[in-house]
Amino acid sequence: MPTGPFSSPPPGSRTETPPPGDTAVGVLTATGAGVVGLGLLAATGAAQLEPALLTAAGVAAAGLWATFRVRRRDPVLRDDRMAPPSALADAARSPFEDALENLPDPLLIISAEEPDDLVGKRLTFANAAARALLRIPRDGALLLSAIRRPEVLEAVDESLFGGLAGSVSFETGGAQDRFWRVWTAPLPPREPRRFCVLVMRDETDVRRNERMRADFLANASHELRTPLASLSGFIETLRGHARDDEQARDRFLGIMSAQAERMARLVDDLMSLSRIELNEHIRPDGRCDLGAAASDVADALALIAGERRVTVRLDLPPRGNAVVVGDRDQILQVIQNLVDNALKYSPAGGGVTVSVEAGLTLAAATATDPASPRLSGQDAGRLSLLTPDRADDSLYALIRVTDEGPGMQRQHLPRLAERFYRVEGQKSGDRSGTGLGLAIVKHIVNRHRGGLWVESAPQRGAMFVAYLPQAARDAAAPLADEGSVASGAIDPDPQPALARQARL
Amino acid sequence: MSEHTLKFFGDELTQLKAEVTRMGGLVESQVEDSIECVVRRDVELAQAIIGRDAKIDELQREIERKAIRMIALRQPVAQDLRRTVAALKMAWNLERTGDQAKNIAKRALVLAEAEPLTPLTRAVERMGRLVVAHLKEALDAYTSSEIERGLAVWRADEDVDEHYNSLFRELLTYMMSDPRTISSCAHLLFIGKNLERVGDHATNIAEILHYEITGEEVDGQRPRWQGADGEHPTGEDQ
Repeated sequence: MPTGPFSSPPPGSRTETPPPGDTAVGVLTATGAGVVGLGLLAATGAAQLEPALLTAAGVAAAGLWATFRVRRRDPVLRDDRMAPPSALADAARSPFEDALENLPDPLLIISAEEPDDLVGKRLTFANAAARALLRIPRDGALLLSAIRRPEVLEAVDESLFGGLAGSVSFETGGAQDRFWRVWTAPLPPREPRRFCVLVMRDETDVRRNERMRADFLANASHELRTPLASLSGFIETLRGHARDDEQARDRFLGIMSAQAERMARLVDDLMSLSRIELNEHIRPDGRCDLGAAASDVADALALIAGERRVTVRLDLPPRGNAVVVGDRDQILQVIQNLVDNALKYSPAGGGVTVSVEAGLTLAAATATDPASPRLSGQDAGRLSLLTPDRADDSLYALIRVTDEGPGMQRQHLPRLAERFYRVEGQKSGDRSGTGLGLAIVKHIVNRHRGGLWVESAPQRGAMFVAYLPQAARDAAAPLADEGSVASGAIDPDPQPALARQARL
Repeated sequence: MSEHTLKFFGDELTQLKAEVTRMGGLVESQVEDSIECVVRRDVELAQAIIGRDAKIDELQREIERKAIRMIALRQPVAQDLRRTVAALKMAWNLERTGDQAKNIAKRALVLAEAEPLTPLTRAVERMGRLVVAHLKEALDAYTSSEIERGLAVWRADEDVDEHYNSLFRELLTYMMSDPRTISSCAHLLFIGKNLERVGDHATNIAEILHYEITGEEVDGQRPRWQGADGEHPTGEDQ
């Protein structure tokens, strides 16, 4: 789904009646003038007179302008607008129009007659980027069907009827936040209609960088303070009265080293979270088999599972069945964090189940099993931690990690994916958690345009489900036909044979 | 002659829907801004929101007048009638949504004078973002007449309720542990309730869209989470 305060127009809306305008001859001459304008532009060197350049640009714009009008009259050409740009290159289009069409930034040309006539404000032209972002199905759609943000509408009105250029910026919600800056400028009117141009630019990167720096500093300074305070406390003690106590020294050094490790982990996690957030609006384009990834993670965690005497059960589809669009390293990290959490909260002798399913619709991927033991009883809860923007035709593959741990009360669920949030009264056994694991999971899944939900009840364990859009079948990389990765249990024996130190 | 009348009526309906959409855009940004002014303790923004509410009321009256005039003069039937009535209902709903935003802004004014309660404000912000996303999705569905999209919002409302429940408990714990925060927490609690209502209005929009297109009510009960302690925390024994 596109981000933005926008949407496609109602299917039933009437098509625009073309405004009365130039004759075909006038149009053709103007197009010619446009081409001449381009030639002039090309010929004008950087050191040439500015007025010449301006005139050339003006004439070029007039030529371009005229071509829009040609196109708008011809219904066949208008239909062509929905075809990919390559199919559009025909004699009726000028290079200027192709240039606008292929601009990376969304661009709209809006026309109107009366300030108060909402239905009269129409999109005369929308380039490919604008059509994709604002979901505009055709030229001539209502302006309001594409944009309804009041400050943008005001800027458009000022350009149309006040002759003023303007710029506004805004943030759009949706699963991935984006920042946009919008410029509007009046174009010469063709009575009785007035025209203006609107250009949008994605400023997400810039803003995100700023915000990321601020967040990083705030989080890092706050979270590092505790281990740092304890380190300096121990240093004080070692310098002071424990100076000659060998036993105490060993014990303190052990604690100090653990604290230092914790700080290092914290910094690592914060940096990786920041990196993920920075790219969150850029969708990955790789391919990754969820089943294979899950079995890799299980291998890598076999050692830890063994130490904790927890059995990991895998339930995976045949290799190649659950291929998702994604960054393999990040998907490994998602699975790793989920399984790691499950292990952390499992009692000794308990079990963790990791299962992967593929070919699900959005509804199926978010469906609950009514027989789930985690949905009955006091304080049982289920909550979506992340919901992707709707994409109607997508199929999803999901990974489900279930533990038999102490579970959580409903009230904690909405805050689970928050940084540094820890469920009160639940210690994760050791000091290994940074409180960032689920936040990282959430941001990675969001980058992949997937979703995340959890169900849990006190004393009945917890289940986390992450679902990601599946890759189109034909586009799947030639994954070797190794038959099925059989369902099986990883022996809790702490043999490090399979425990590859995969970089997760 | 009759064809002319028909086309003319179609134009009027499109105009009506365009006005509802514009009103929707205004309400949407009011709700967004209201959360922003709570989070940033922005007094000026809060006052601007309160001021802009009159514009929303005016739009609502205008849409109402036009719709009633259309019903009286053109006596539409079937889908035309439903589209007209849907516009009316939308205007009422959006006006109420705007009122919630105004209420939030009023409380933000009071909160800006008290000590900041950062962790709690963040919980409100999180809930607010969720609600804004629902409202946007519902309005998108209405403008593009996509029933499925609307129904997805309708089904997702339990998430908002869940956030509200969580916020309620959190605030309660805070107030019990530190009575000095009671005044601020009470305001945050009402803000949470206002946001929860905005979420309900988003589901109403989905219902109106469903009615406009099919002429029927949405089937079945909205899938709400029914825990052991009922669907709303108010009145619980804590």
